Amino acid sequence: MNTRDLVLVALFAAIVVVLGFIPPITLGFIPVPITAQSMGVMLAGCIIGAKRGALSFLLVILLVAIGLPVLSGGRGGLAVLAGPSGGFILGWAIAAFATGLIAECFVRAQNSEGRQFAGFFLASVIGGIVVLYAIGVPWLSAVTGTPLAAAATGSLAFIPGDLMKAAIATLAARAVYAGYPLLPARA
Amino acid sequence: MLTSLYVEGRSWFHRVPVRAKLVALLLASIALFATDSPLPLLAAFLLAGGLYLSLGLTLRQAFARVGFVFFTILVLAAVNLFLIPLPQVLALALRLTALVLLAAAVTATTTIGAFMDEVTVLLKPFERLGLVRAADVSLALGLVLRFVPDIFARYQAISEAHRARGLPVRPLTIIGPLIILTLKDADTIAAAIDARGFRRQ
Repeated sequence: MNTRDLVLVALFAAIVVVLGFIPPITLGFIPVPITAQSMGVMLAGCIIGAKRGALSFLLVILLVAIGLPVLSGGRGGLAVLAGPSGGFILGWAIAAFATGLIAECFVRAQNSEGRQFAGFFLASVIGGIVVLYAIGVPWLSAVTGTPLAAAATGSLAFIPGDLMKAAIATLAARAVYAGYPLLPARA
Repeated sequence: MLTSLYVEGRSWFHRVPVRAKLVALLLASIALFATDSPLPLLAAFLLAGGLYLSLGLTLRQAFARVGFVFFTILVLAAVNLFLIPLPQVLALALRLTALVLLAAAVTATTTIGAFMDEVTVLLKPFERLGLVRAADVSLALGLVLRFVPDIFARYQAISEAHRARGLPVRPLTIIGPLIILTLKDADTIAAAIDARGFRRQ
């Protein structure tokens, strides 16, 4: 890993921390407010790629673990990792890797704009929603004892908001890709 | 802007070495998940709660740090009431709150420096395999702490620019410029790091 990669990893982790300061947006038709920070996983994978995106989130998890209030709402510390949603936070790194992997496979500079949008959206949905929930929901169920089926059904309330996030992340990632491409291509 | 959750204090738990605290937290989590009867779990909850409150935090501060996690636990416990028998719901909620309180106590009594020393020790085997360098991790951590205020200032500048043009301040229109402007600095920062020979490359 060269110094530039290291700096990109650190800067993206810092961006994720700053996204936590942005006030959440509430939309009338979605029950859960959307925090900009939770878009970070999709953005990291789509913008700096699988490896650097995952490392960025490992850094964020490290910041949480050593007691810095870097999560939205000033949360942080080992207590958050020990709580019910600890799996979602630890799953971020893997979700960012999955997002990046898909984006690297499907998005090319010579693609049409529409195909790039489709690639980023697919990556955001599979990496940032499917993979993340596949880790976070069983974890939550194991820690709290809530039956898996109930935990999964309950999580459905978050899906509309997550699709919204994927759409926003897609537009932002494509804007960055057009302006300052950093995403490596994968055969 | 990013103040650590460490609390200045002289309690006995402050003086316990970090490694002992982390091992204790790990052992406690294993022990708590090994039992299902409410009574020992209640004892663990009271012990962890007593420990957490003895660290010198005011009640309000103490609650603010764990309130959010407790809220999630309570919501899930309320859901559980309809699905599993009551003693089990009680045991599950007590176990998790005890664990969260203990974790919060460790966080409140450990400085970032002490945590980083342990992280460096934990990274040793990976360092030997050539996978990661502990110095790089510290450098990356330092970079994050250094650049968060800058990036936040940039975020505010972009919001101001939106308002000056009569545009609504939306995440969608802010995130793009924020990320491009920030990541464009990567080359300069990397050059500055290499010029100082921090990574000996």
